[in-house]
Amino acid sequence: MNDVKSRLIEILEEINDDIDYETETNLIDGKMLDSFSIIRLISSICEEFEIDIGPKWMKNENFNSVEAMSNMINTILEEE
Amino acid sequence: MSITSLRFVLFVAALVVVYFSVPKKFQWLTLLAASIYFYIRVCGIIELLFVLLTAVSIYGASVWLQRIHDTQKMVLKANKEALTAEEKARIKAKNKKRRRTILVFTLLLNFGIMCACKYSHFAVGTINLLFGTTMNNSFSLIVPLGLSFYTFQSTGYLINVYWNNCRAEKNFLKVLLFISFFPQITQGPISEFEPFAKELYSEHCLDYVNFAHGTQRMIWGFLKKMVLANTLAPMVKDVFANYSHYTGITVFIGAVLYSVQIYADFSGYMDIMCGFCEILGIKLTENFNRPYFSKSIAEYWRRWHISLGEWFKHYIYYPIAVSKWNRKLGKNLTERFGKSIGANLPATIALVAVWLATGLWHGASWAYVAWGGANGLFIIFSMWMEPVYDRYKRKLRINESRWVWRAFQTVRTFTLVTFIKVLPEVGTLSDGLGLWKRIFTNFTIPNSLTDLLPFADNVFNLLIITIITFALFTVSLIQRKHSFREELNRIPYVLRIIILSIITIIIAMFGIPATIDNGGFLYALF
Repeated sequence: MNDVKSRLIEILEEINDDIDYETETNLIDGKMLDSFSIIRLISSICEEFEIDIGPKWMKNENFNSVEAMSNMINTILEEE
Repeated sequence: MSITSLRFVLFVAALVVVYFSVPKKFQWLTLLAASIYFYIRVCGIIELLFVLLTAVSIYGASVWLQRIHDTQKMVLKANKEALTAEEKARIKAKNKKRRRTILVFTLLLNFGIMCACKYSHFAVGTINLLFGTTMNNSFSLIVPLGLSFYTFQSTGYLINVYWNNCRAEKNFLKVLLFISFFPQITQGPISEFEPFAKELYSEHCLDYVNFAHGTQRMIWGFLKKMVLANTLAPMVKDVFANYSHYTGITVFIGAVLYSVQIYADFSGYMDIMCGFCEILGIKLTENFNRPYFSKSIAEYWRRWHISLGEWFKHYIYYPIAVSKWNRKLGKNLTERFGKSIGANLPATIALVAVWLATGLWHGASWAYVAWGGANGLFIIFSMWMEPVYDRYKRKLRINESRWVWRAFQTVRTFTLVTFIKVLPEVGTLSDGLGLWKRIFTNFTIPNSLTDLLPFADNVFNLLIITIITFALFTVSLIQRKHSFREELNRIPYVLRIIILSIITIIIAMFGIPATIDNGGFLYALF
């Protein structure tokens, strides 16, 4: 597992540690993370990776799995 | 042309014939022509001009935004080596500023039209109230049907083009169809451009399963709207008009009946339109997911008028909640007061904005602001109190998976939702509060069924309401675990036809007379 993913899992476990983030691919569509948890998650990701996640990234598919979040972070880092 | 009229049924039947008869590449144009015809018949030419203005402005702005984005991409790619990092950043910043100006101007124009049409009376009335002025607020304004719905749908599309989440459509007529598609323009759903637009522009073949399922759903929708909602309408109206003369229990029953009426009215409309679109092979965005089975107000709003909730979430809640200033505030609060406050306050600020806007979207009055505020208050309070609830649930050893607990949560949510719902519907805010007061302060026991239900002058109507409400409840219960359609398909074909024929007869016998005076849809007023 790469560094971005392991840091993401640490953040996610702080929000809810009942989920197996390594395998879960339905975090939002499966209603495992609600819109309040997502706000906490975004604040933590922005701080941890020193990026700005604007509202354009707020799509379910970007937050359904650690893989998707990791891809989104990498894209934002490339764009910046 | 009323949606519950024979004329409408003939209109959609003719459209189905034409849609599947014309060459497939012209199918979407048939929908556009039908949508324009429908809007002119329902509203008029002047109102159509408002829709056209929105379509032209949204189309022009979206194509312009796309062009700036594509040109920038091309320039940066072509001069990848030649440009320095600073030069690239300067080009990006300049284009970002231009794109933002276009977006802001177009949003101001469209929301400006919406606000001028919907909120002028409210604004003048509020100024008079606050400053003691006597400005005339009885002027008449054109409010195009579905204004709030098509403004939200089209601005949502524009914002997504601005965010580069979808490409701008180059064909103006296709954009016009997306904005004016008649099954959704008057009462939603408020659809996202992608994937809904693709459904509209795709070529479709007549399919027996789609036809059968669509027809069944339309009949179910007509039953809900014409029989249940329209029979309940005069009863609810009577309770709201005379609540101060009725006993508390009667007023409470009236409030519950209003919850049934508005659900049957709005979801009935959605069933009619989703069913019709299904016949065409088009999947319309779903707006309901058994909302009265929700276990909290927040969950209820994820299951009632889903597309509106999604719009507010994407275009108001998230932009405020994840904004830099809000995140900074959250960080500072976490450092000073701990994680709980730091995490919840940014969400709270966004929720306050969402619920004030939701209240005003539904109606230009203080009663609707209070209605939005009450919904928001419950959701925000639940969010803050969640750790306390969890502690007590553990202390009291409440098993959340037990059906008794879930049933309690469902009944509690339905009761709260009912009380909040009636607040703006009685008349003014003080009327709404007066109705609440009547329920909580008048404990007179009615002497007879006539005293208990003074608004019901026909036993057959009461019987039919009870049967259909029970049927609605049973269908919702089945939908918890299975698809109702699959269950229906298991029934022998002949029996299915008999059931549908009986429903059609009930619509003809009870729905048509009830629709003569109460044919309008509650959500069409928004």
